[in-house]
Amino acid sequence: MAGILAALAANIYNQIYFFATEIDYSNIINWGSLLSLNLIISLLAGLLYWLLTTLFKSRGAIVFNFVYSVGSFACVIIPIAITLPLTTPNPELFPGLTVPMVFFPVIAWMTIDPLFKKN
Amino acid sequence: MKKQIYLLASVALMMGSAFAFVQSLDWKIAEGYAVKFEAGDPSGEFSGLKGIIKFDEKNLAASQFSVTIEVASINTGNGMKNTHAKSANWFDAEKYPTIAFTSSAISKTATGFEAKGTLEMHGVKKEIVLPFTFSNSTFSANMEVNRMDFNIDDGKHPKMSPTIKVSITVPVTK
Repeated sequence: MAGILAALAANIYNQIYFFATEIDYSNIINWGSLLSLNLIISLLAGLLYWLLTTLFKSRGAIVFNFVYSVGSFACVIIPIAITLPLTTPNPELFPGLTVPMVFFPVIAWMTIDPLFKKN
Repeated sequence: MKKQIYLLASVALMMGSAFAFVQSLDWKIAEGYAVKFEAGDPSGEFSGLKGIIKFDEKNLAASQFSVTIEVASINTGNGMKNTHAKSANWFDAEKYPTIAFTSSAISKTATGFEAKGTLEMHGVKKEIVLPFTFSNSTFSANMEVNRMDFNIDDGKHPKMSPTIKVSITVPVTK
């Protein structure tokens, strides 16, 4: 669920960014790549959540939130350091598109997480 | 009268052919050119190639290259590296906006041609020999440039190769 929500948000942001800059990064960032990447990240996050709640019981969720947030922040370096194909125009503006997207999976997770909590 | 017409026609033909001969030296740089460099990391290309290309393989004495590349057009595929390359630590694009090559002599070799001339980069002029080929209206050249010869080094990247491979492909039209 978080993966689909993050992919939806990323696609909306992608459209807004294209509208604002008119730079086409669709050879790298498109519906397919955003959906698959967000789904994979969210599935891995789910696996990590299960692992940490199994290990640390009730404190597992707190550890998970901390690890997921710090991990997302650390991943900011990926879109900044990536080397794009030389045919891609304006690589200077690529981080502006992708750095915010790095935080979408964790935001989506924390947005819908309370819905799945048992009282 | 006929003789005079023939004489006039032959003079006109000679003048016309001489004019055509002069014109045939000039080439225009066409779309699709590539000036690529490779130094492991970073690698990339320059655009913004301009200049005068006069070339006729039958008249090498009158042939000449005088071309420039805009330093600010460097593209490594990474925005951060592009900014860094253009900065005062490397190419200093603001102070030295172009890389220029002006040939002084072009001669034929066993594999193609070579142009002797001056390469000016980062405010340093150096005599170089540029080997190249010309076929199907396309110039192709491969060379190695030692960036240290042109003081292109910030002293913070000792692992980066001092030698940069440059490959140039320039399609031309009349």
